[in-house]
Amino acid sequence: MTQREIMLKKIGTYKFALKDLQLYLDTHPKDEVALHKYAEYEDILKPLIREFESRFGPLTVKSDNMNKFLWIKNPWPWDIEEDD
Amino acid sequence: MFVYEKQLQYPVKIKRTNPALAKIIISQFGGPDGELAASIRYLSQRYTMPVEELKATLTDIGTEELNHLEMVGAIVYQLTKDLSEEEIKKNGFDAYFVDHTTGIYPSSAAGVPFTAAYIQSKGDPITDLHEDMAAEQKARTTYDNILRMCDDYDVKDPIRFLRAREVVHYQRFGENLRILTDKLDSKNYYQFNPSFDKKCFKKRK
Repeated sequence: MTQREIMLKKIGTYKFALKDLQLYLDTHPKDEVALHKYAEYEDILKPLIREFESRFGPLTVKSDNMNKFLWIKNPWPWDIEEDD
Repeated sequence: MFVYEKQLQYPVKIKRTNPALAKIIISQFGGPDGELAASIRYLSQRYTMPVEELKATLTDIGTEELNHLEMVGAIVYQLTKDLSEEEIKKNGFDAYFVDHTTGIYPSSAAGVPFTAAYIQSKGDPITDLHEDMAAEQKARTTYDNILRMCDDYDVKDPIRFLRAREVVHYQRFGENLRILTDKLDSKNYYQFNPSFDKKCFKKRK
């Protein structure tokens, strides 16, 4: 795995935990334990995304960098990355 | 509104091409119990859902199915990347190749193009939720069948993830059905359409 893939996998793991909790909360909206877990994972995820995006470019479209539209850059999610 | 995240929900990184396998996995892209049918089914049905929990679940699962559509597309794409003409012929991929080259086209394993007839949006939440629970089980069975015919770990790993999600979605839809029926007058659940006949809800005390 590349450094990029390792970081992306960690981000994906927290994103997935949040998504799964989101579906659970849709049918258990008053479950405080799950709500706290959601907030906890969100707090962990935010800095991971910030670090990733500063190194490898945006995960969602944004205009932070006015020199170049980094959004278009490879790899796209279906591309295969060569190992380092 | 939807915002694209430039990341698969679960990583797909396949080292060995396998057009014969791609030919069967395409069914979960555009086949009868595939991810395209799933997302369009839930995102269409949600409008007439009469209860908050149901609107949220259909929206969030429908959105997750779009992630899965993207993953299945990535699997098929990587399984058919840089094929030689000989590999295409030898593995029975020629029938697909002649119409689509290696483009990702929503069709079933048997080559039937995607059709909206794979889904229903009945405007009755009891009917729709039963369809949704059945759809999750049908997709789970399809993934089981794919796993039977697959010996490459790189493919099995994301397919197992997708299979597990069908089980979770089934659970959530089951909860939706319970949440709905709990709100209905228990004398006559199945005589009314809870999206249309408002009188079937329990009277507030």
